[in-house]
Amino acid sequence: MKALEKLDSHLQSRLTDLNKLKEKQKIIGYTAGGYFPEELALACNAIPVCFIQAGNNNILRDAGAYVCRWFDPFWRSQIGYLTSGRDPYYNIADLIVVPITDNHVRVFSNTLGYYTPEKESFVFGVPHVKDKLALEYYHKGIIRLRKKLEEFTGSEITDDKLRQSIALCNRERELFRKISLMRKSGSSSISSKDFIKLNHASFLADKEFMIEILEMYMQEAGETAPRTESGTALLFTGSTIARDDYKVMDIIEESGGNIIIEEFAEGIRPYWNSVNTEGSLMKNLAESYFMDRVCAGWFRPGTERLNFLIRLAKDYNTDGLIWYHLMFRESYKVESHFFPDMLKKETGIPMFVLESEYDDMEKGPMRTRIETFLETIKR
Amino acid sequence: MKQYYDDLFSLCGFEDEEINNERFRIKATLEKLELGPEDMERADSWVRQYHDVSLMGVRKLLGAWLKELIDLVLAKEDGKKIVYYGFPAILGPGLMLSASSDKVFVSAPDMVLDHTMGQIFNKLTPILEAGEANGLPPGHAMCSLWQAKIGGVVKGMIPVPDFALASSYYCDMGSKADDLVTAFYGTPMAYIDGIMDSHWGDFPDFLPERVEYLGGQINQALKKAEDVLGIKIAPDAWEKSQENSKQFRGYLVRLVELMKADPVPLSVVELELLEALSGSSAGRGIREGIKAMEILVKELEERVKAGIGVTEKGAPRVMVRLGHTSDPRVTRLLEDCGLAVPLTFILGSFGGVRVEPKGTYNTPGEIIANYEMTGGYYHGTEAQIQFYEKAAGIMRLDGFVAQYLYNCRPVATISHAQKKYLEEKTGLPVLSLEIDNFDSRTHSADSLRTKVETFAEMLKAKKHK
Ligand code: SF4
Repeated sequence: MKALEKLDSHLQSRLTDLNKLKEKQKIIGYTAGGYFPEELALACNAIPVCFIQAGNNNILRDAGAYVCRWFDPFWRSQIGYLTSGRDPYYNIADLIVVPITDNHVRVFSNTLGYYTPEKESFVFGVPHVKDKLALEYYHKGIIRLRKKLEEFTGSEITDDKLRQSIALCNRERELFRKISLMRKSGSSSISSKDFIKLNHASFLADKEFMIEILEMYMQEAGETAPRTESGTALLFTGSTIARDDYKVMDIIEESGGNIIIEEFAEGIRPYWNSVNTEGSLMKNLAESYFMDRVCAGWFRPGTERLNFLIRLAKDYNTDGLIWYHLMFRESYKVESHFFPDMLKKETGIPMFVLESEYDDMEKGPMRTRIETFLETIKR
Repeated sequence: MKQYYDDLFSLCGFEDEEINNERFRIKATLEKLELGPEDMERADSWVRQYHDVSLMGVRKLLGAWLKELIDLVLAKEDGKKIVYYGFPAILGPGLMLSASSDKVFVSAPDMVLDHTMGQIFNKLTPILEAGEANGLPPGHAMCSLWQAKIGGVVKGMIPVPDFALASSYYCDMGSKADDLVTAFYGTPMAYIDGIMDSHWGDFPDFLPERVEYLGGQINQALKKAEDVLGIKIAPDAWEKSQENSKQFRGYLVRLVELMKADPVPLSVVELELLEALSGSSAGRGIREGIKAMEILVKELEERVKAGIGVTEKGAPRVMVRLGHTSDPRVTRLLEDCGLAVPLTFILGSFGGVRVEPKGTYNTPGEIIANYEMTGGYYHGTEAQIQFYEKAAGIMRLDGFVAQYLYNCRPVATISHAQKKYLEEKTGLPVLSLEIDNFDSRTHSADSLRTKVETFAEMLKAKKHK
């Protein structure tokens, strides 16, 4: 599709463009998970960029100088990229913001603070439960963030500017939502890999340009004939789907699986809700980014997310669920033990668990296991 | 009439009268734990080999653990409402529940299993395996403390709790494993949430909202406990709950003083037994532990006066994070290699280097949260490392064995940073040691020996230069 080609060329020159823009604007790097309201950066004329690269086992060796092996490889990758400079987006960021979620993110934030103190950073916490107290804590966290960004950029975040940024980001979320819903029929021209790549691009691209691309993509997708190959309809979920961690998706597609819908807390932008533009905008951001969005797997209890998966499985009429989490991300590992029964009871569909440490050696066994799972469903 | 368990229980500090009074309960407990006469014989020699039973205080401590075990195993039969909490824990809420009603039994059951089925009976493996088979599989760096808890419950050795307090302020694994218990048994729970979102360099400062949030979560948990357990938190529960722990901590402070002696008078194996007890029991265990401490402190004073210690005078002095909860051989390894351990992280935080709480709060939750924030443990990684640094001066240390628990993420965060930090700040050598502090099957004493031996030789050479 033309939209994707155009997006590719934008991303290819993005770093060069950012280097030029950096003379006048601040670049705010932030970590994955969906708890950094990009609106705040945009409202002070800064450029938000999310660190979403991973999937290469080599970078874990770099991380090994700073932390032991027993953390999620996505977050170890971030440590590797941060300290080695091998992800240029880390080098270009003027300020790094870390919304701290679980201990895997905390170890990254420790590394940032201790080993790379020359990089200016700001952390704030994301509670692990949803209640009034937790919402208040998150709200206070983003108020501190707002202040920090104002000081850092020297630009006041007025209500008008914030409202405009929210409207911009709402448009992006709305487009992702619409594109995602187009897949509901099971026969669309949109592949899951394209959808995920669009997400990843949206973490790096210029916001207004990205919106144009999404509009263009949606139109093209509507005009393009559905993909002819109809594989086993799948819901694909897990902890993290990183930019360049596409091997599982490739194997699934090659083995006759057809991912219709996906849910990942890290790697996919929370797009199901919009932020209210009336009333207290900071409160609205907190409501939307913390309360309204579906929680990540490290929330306790994780019931909200698990129920959401059940709903997706039903709404998108899937035949099976592939649960892909990264090694040592214990919240997901534990849930993967008891969720299959819940899912089976509610939807009748089976679930299959895959784990990865971004090792190429995983490919062979993964393929065999995925093929077997898909065969079982067909029967 | 004498029974097959009498000798072991007497070795573990039980008086004859206590054994006679508790015969029925001891027997019922041993049956549930699948322990027979042969196990008693094996346990007898295991305890003699790895615990310092020449000290009556140590024997009584072992007995305190056994008493806590009996009360835990039989809590349902005793008609108690059972509350489990995770370890390490902010103890306040559990202690307050325990102080509010005789009908409530509050415990960290995994720690009790580790210290009894591990340290006394050397029979923890089948329990761990049951945990592995029920949601916490091997090979995934899952918490072995939780494997013991789940294993104990699914094997029917310990009862299913009526309520759980999840330590969501520290650990992702523990809270999620609590979800597993709910999925299996429908157990209601309260997640006491908190976020360790300190920026590096913040400690000892912290944002007031951290106290407000954690405190509010504790208050909510207490309210939920009242509803679920059908009890009322007594107005003086906080004060009452402090009685035992204050006394116990008082002894720990005295112990820190005694451990400054050269040679060090007590093995870190026994140090672990008593430190862990204060974090694991809210009932008989801690009350009996206080009695044991009274005896032990006196015995150690005698030892110090007589210049008796567990290692040679002049042995290099190192600080460790903590001793092994279930396998004394792993802890003993340090002393076997000629290292004296006068201090652990836990003893340090109780006895030596606490930061004064700031601010005044009115609700129990906030008072507890304020206190815990200054303790460092729940503040963040840097706070934890700074405790080691401060201890170096207090205990005239020669080095650190900086352990990190590979399967406990909140502790594993310090894996590399603590070595660099301590070497730079103190100039002392640091051995970074990966351990599993609750299960010695993969991280056994033998597997750690080469590293510890080499480090010990280096320290000795340095000291005698
Ligand atoms: S992982 Fe660590 S903090 Fe969590 S329950 Fe286990 S021992 Fe406790």
